[in-house]
Amino acid sequence: MKKLISVAYYTFVENIRNKIFYVILLFGIVITTASLLMAAISGQQNLRVLLDFGLGSIEFFALLTVGFAAVTLILEEIQSKTIYLVLTRPVSRSTYLCGRFIGLLLAVFCGMAVMAMIHLLILFLNEWHFTLRYLLALGLSGEKIMVVGALALFFSLFSSSAVSSISFTVFFWILGHFSQEINFLANRSKGVATKVVGKMIYYAVPNMQYFNLKDFWDVPNFLGRWVAVSFIYGIFYTAFCMLLCLWLMRYKEF
Amino acid sequence: MTVIETTNLTKIYKRSHLGKVYLTTGITGVSFSVNRGEIFALLGLNGSGKTTTIKLLLGLLKPSSGESLILGERTHSAKVLKKIGFMPEVPYFYPYLTGSEILHFYARMSEVDDVGRRVDKILDLVGLFERRNKRLSEFSKGMLQRIAIAQSLIHDPEILIYDEPISGLDPLAISEMRGLLLKLKSEGKTIFMSSHFISEVEKVSDRAAILARGSLARIVEHGAWADREGELERIFIKEVEGASELGKIKI
Repeated sequence: MKKLISVAYYTFVENIRNKIFYVILLFGIVITTASLLMAAISGQQNLRVLLDFGLGSIEFFALLTVGFAAVTLILEEIQSKTIYLVLTRPVSRSTYLCGRFIGLLLAVFCGMAVMAMIHLLILFLNEWHFTLRYLLALGLSGEKIMVVGALALFFSLFSSSAVSSISFTVFFWILGHFSQEINFLANRSKGVATKVVGKMIYYAVPNMQYFNLKDFWDVPNFLGRWVAVSFIYGIFYTAFCMLLCLWLMRYKEF
Repeated sequence: MTVIETTNLTKIYKRSHLGKVYLTTGITGVSFSVNRGEIFALLGLNGSGKTTTIKLLLGLLKPSSGESLILGERTHSAKVLKKIGFMPEVPYFYPYLTGSEILHFYARMSEVDDVGRRVDKILDLVGLFERRNKRLSEFSKGMLQRIAIAQSLIHDPEILIYDEPISGLDPLAISEMRGLLLKLKSEGKTIFMSSHFISEVEKVSDRAAILARGSLARIVEHGAWADREGELERIFIKEVEGASELGKIKI
C-alpha cells in the first residue's frame, strides 16, 4: 500500500508540474470565463448558459488532459526507459500501474476543482443560488474522466502507439454517446449478425449518457437512484478496464 | 559462492506486422555464473545481446528457454530485486522532480528504512547534496549519471548490475566511475556490468564473458590479460571478428 501511495503521489506531483497541464488548465479557465460573454448575449437564459457552458468546458478540458496524459502514462515510460528503474525494484506491476493511474486522476481532478472554483465564482457574481446538483454534475463528469482515462490507458498498453491509442479512445468516446441508439438499433434489427454486433458494441463501449447530469438538470425526482447507478456503473467500467490493463501489463516485456 | 547463474538462456524476439511473424535472435544458449564479490564484465559488439542478457536477469524480458537465477532464486522475485541495484545504459528520470524527490521515490520503492537520512547520505556520496532541490530537467548529463549511480545504491544492494556504466562519460567521469566500481568491490559487492570499452574492463574486472552474435564465445579469467597490456582486446577481437552484422567502413 505504501508503494502504491508513493507511485500515486509522485505521478501527481509530476503531472501538476508539467507545463502542458498548466496550458490546458489556462485554456479551461479562459473558456469558463468566456461563458460570461455567452451569457451576456443570451438574454433571460444567461444563468443557464453560464452553468451549461462552464460545466461543459470543465469537462472538455479535463477530458483532453486525461486522454493525452493516460495514453502517455506508460507509453512514455517505456520509450524513455524510466520504467526500468521502477520494475527492477520489489514493486509489482499492478502496484505500479494502479499508482500511476490514481496519481494521474488526482492531478486531473485537482485541475477540475480549480476550474470549478472559478466557474462558481462567476456564477455567484451573477446571483446564482447554489444547488447540490452542481456538485453531482461535476462528480459525474469526474466519473466520465475516470472511465475515459482507463480506456486510454488500456488502448495505450494494447496498441503501443500514442496516435492509435488516442484514435481508439476518441472513437469509443464518440460511440459512448450513442450507446442507447446502438442498443435501440440492435433491438430493432432483424438480422442476427447485426443484432449480435450491435449488442457487443453496446456492452463494450461506455454509456456516456450516465454521466451527463447537466443534460437533465431540470428533470425532477429522479436524481438519487440515477446518480447512484451512474457512480456504480463508472466504477465498475473503470475497474474492468483496469483489470484488462493489469492483464496486459503482466505479460508485457520491456 | 555463485550469485548469478544462467543456464542455456535464450531469447527470441517475436514481432508481428500485418499478420506476419518475424523472429529475431537476442541470445542463444548463454550459460555463465558470477561469484560473490567479483566484477564480471560482459563484452560484445553492438547488438551482440548484452542488454538482452541484463534485461533477462532483471525480469524485464521473459526467456524463450533456459533460466537465470540470482542468489538461487528466480530473478524477478521481489526478494531478489530488493538486493539488486541497476543502472541502465542511458538513465532517464522524471524531469519535473528534484534530485532529492527522485531518490526518495526510489528509496520507498526499494523499502529503505529511514528514507530521509539515507537519501541525504547518498546525495552527499555522489556530490549532489547542494543541488538536491534542483529539478532534474536542469541537470547536466554528468549530474544525471550521478543520480543514476545514487539510485542504484540507495538501498545498499548486494549485487550491482550496470549496463554500459561508462558509455558517454568524459575522461574524468570515467576515472571516477572506475574508482567507484573498485570501492564497491572492496565493500564486498558483486558487480555485473556490460561494456564495449575493453581497456576499462581490463582495469577493473576479474572475469569477462565475450558475447558474439548472441552466443557466449568465451569466458576470460583475469590472469589471461593481467600481465600483458592490451591482451584482453586481442582476445576480444579474435573472438568477435566477423561477428559484426554491418559491412566494414571503406576507408
